Amino acid sequence: MSFRWSRTAAIARKEVFHVLRDPFTLGLALGLPVFMVLLFGFAIEFNVKNVHLAVFDADHTRTSRQVIDTFGSSGYFIIDRVPSPEGAFHALSGDHDRAALIIPGDFQKNLYAGRTAQAQLLLDGSDNSTVGPIISYIGSIQTLAGRRIAGFDPPEPVHFKSRFLFNSELNSRWFVIPGLAVVVMAILAVLLTALAVAREWENGSMELLLSTPVQPLEIIVGKLAPYAALGIAALAFVYLMSRTVFAVPFRGSLLVYGVGCLLFLGAYLAQGLLISVLTRNQLVAMQVAIMTGLIPANLLSGFVFPIESMPAFFQYLTMIMPVRWLTVIARESYLKGATFTEMWEPFAALTILCVVMVLLATRKFKTDLEP
Amino acid sequence: MNEAPAVAVANLTVKFGDFTAVDDISFTVRRGEVFGFLGANGAGKTTTIRVLCGLLVPTAGRVTVGGVGFDTGEMAIKRKVGYMSQRFTLYNDMTVAENLAFIASLRKLPRETFLKRRDYLLGFISFNRPLDSYVRDLPGGIKQQVSLAASMLHDPEIVFLDEPTAGVTPAARARFWALIRELAGQGKTIFVTTHYMDEAEQCDRIALMRTGRIVALDTPVQLKRQVFPGPLYALDPRGKIDFARLQQLGHDPEIEYFEPYGLRFHAAFRDSPAAERLRAGLEGEFHVQPIAPTLEDVFIRLVEGNGP
Repeated sequence: MSFRWSRTAAIARKEVFHVLRDPFTLGLALGLPVFMVLLFGFAIEFNVKNVHLAVFDADHTRTSRQVIDTFGSSGYFIIDRVPSPEGAFHALSGDHDRAALIIPGDFQKNLYAGRTAQAQLLLDGSDNSTVGPIISYIGSIQTLAGRRIAGFDPPEPVHFKSRFLFNSELNSRWFVIPGLAVVVMAILAVLLTALAVAREWENGSMELLLSTPVQPLEIIVGKLAPYAALGIAALAFVYLMSRTVFAVPFRGSLLVYGVGCLLFLGAYLAQGLLISVLTRNQLVAMQVAIMTGLIPANLLSGFVFPIESMPAFFQYLTMIMPVRWLTVIARESYLKGATFTEMWEPFAALTILCVVMVLLATRKFKTDLEP
Repeated sequence: MNEAPAVAVANLTVKFGDFTAVDDISFTVRRGEVFGFLGANGAGKTTTIRVLCGLLVPTAGRVTVGGVGFDTGEMAIKRKVGYMSQRFTLYNDMTVAENLAFIASLRKLPRETFLKRRDYLLGFISFNRPLDSYVRDLPGGIKQQVSLAASMLHDPEIVFLDEPTAGVTPAARARFWALIRELAGQGKTIFVTTHYMDEAEQCDRIALMRTGRIVALDTPVQLKRQVFPGPLYALDPRGKIDFARLQQLGHDPEIEYFEPYGLRFHAAFRDSPAAERLRAGLEGEFHVQPIAPTLEDVFIRLVEGNGP
């Protein structure tokens, strides 16, 4: 028997009815991309700014004030004066201040005596997401303060001049938002597909479909097409938001990026299908989809947490996750303008994963359906 | 074609791994017949129906449905039959019109044919609600009838109904069976499974399945005669009967069948002389009344009991 588009279209149409009439599916499909963009685009700040700095100044001299001013005018710190060194320590124990600067009474005296003026900086080690950025600011603030106090640029035997390529201001949104499309598509494709197909098993309607001369492949394509369209719509939404609202540059080829996204979508739709065939139950399908789709997409894709700093086991584990490869393709396309040949590795990986997943899922689905 | 049986099954066996669900059964169903399929859960009824609908390939044996067999492919069978399952009937979040249109497009009915069939069938079941009513808002009985209409959209010769009346009211069941009789009158073959004995009585012939085998197959009247050749009595206790006495009666070689039936007991005797001999002794404890066997007696004896 041959594949019929009319039957496939009928199944797809029916699926659209289900999506439009189920508040949960519709809410997830429309709400998730918007929510993720708002969350990662506006609410979560990866560039640490406005760090509260508790300052105890025992010196009360021009030099100490210059040092404090340098911190204050950097834009990264808000100065909170404390009356004693113990006060600085207490300020750190609370969750208001993240760092404390203690300037001893002999600060300026040491400087004038030709010794190095030393001050103590205390950092809240319990919060390592802010400590890293703060330390990176200290170096330049120290140089700047030295220059101000000395009144001239001291000679440096060696000087590294750093310049950040591709993202010159190290804007974290430029880094995060290209990866956002990946996470949104992963969640939609796996979760909604797994639920939609599991629902047909669970309520027995798969039997009704099969009692008609419909082909397994027609069921697969018809059931998945609406979710593929939803995934593409979410992708387009995130792309438009990234370009307009967040002004992230897109330097690569849209075609190359699009091909990557389609390979990715294919792999995840197939994964959703496989989950539903194996579980045949909406509740279990949802849990498995969250475990294998949603959580790895957020944690193991390199979207937020760098893969390079994961333990070796997880670094290898991420290799079988399409999210990792598309995150690479997204960033390289957006920021570096990488070409297809430059990204052959993630593309090869994504193609293999997609083909394997589609074969696995359709094979399993067909053997379960064929009489 | 008119002479050929609607369904012919010869030595059908279905195995799932080591488990034999259907064990070498053979039967035929005539055209225009209402054929009842009875048996405990797990007896192999649904498995047999799934084979006959082309949903399952038999392990062994020959099956012909509406003149076609598996040698022409299961799709040919699927075109010949209508199927209404017990578990799922229609999509609740779609309207009656949408559900019927969906089934029609799966079966690739031309639009004109579909609309004609739809209106005819909805008239047949006396559906008098708006076509855009959501299925979830329909009462169970109406939903069942619309589902029957859905399974008949492509005008199949044979309709398989797997426990079609599970969970609907008695009035809706009666109405549904009137429709079934009417379809049979029009020459359709109806193959139905049920747990209700009053429904089984309305079948032309019934087959009783037990652990994958057909243990009896005949008209309801013949089945009762076959299974209970001797007289059957209802024993109504006059007072309290102790358990040892009941056990003694149950093991009496002259009593072939002794089962509780509500507060009473049904007892079948080997033959009339045996009944006469024992009746006098029983009169002291029971109010004894000769009765005609019901299908429930037949069912209990053949399917749940040890059988003759």
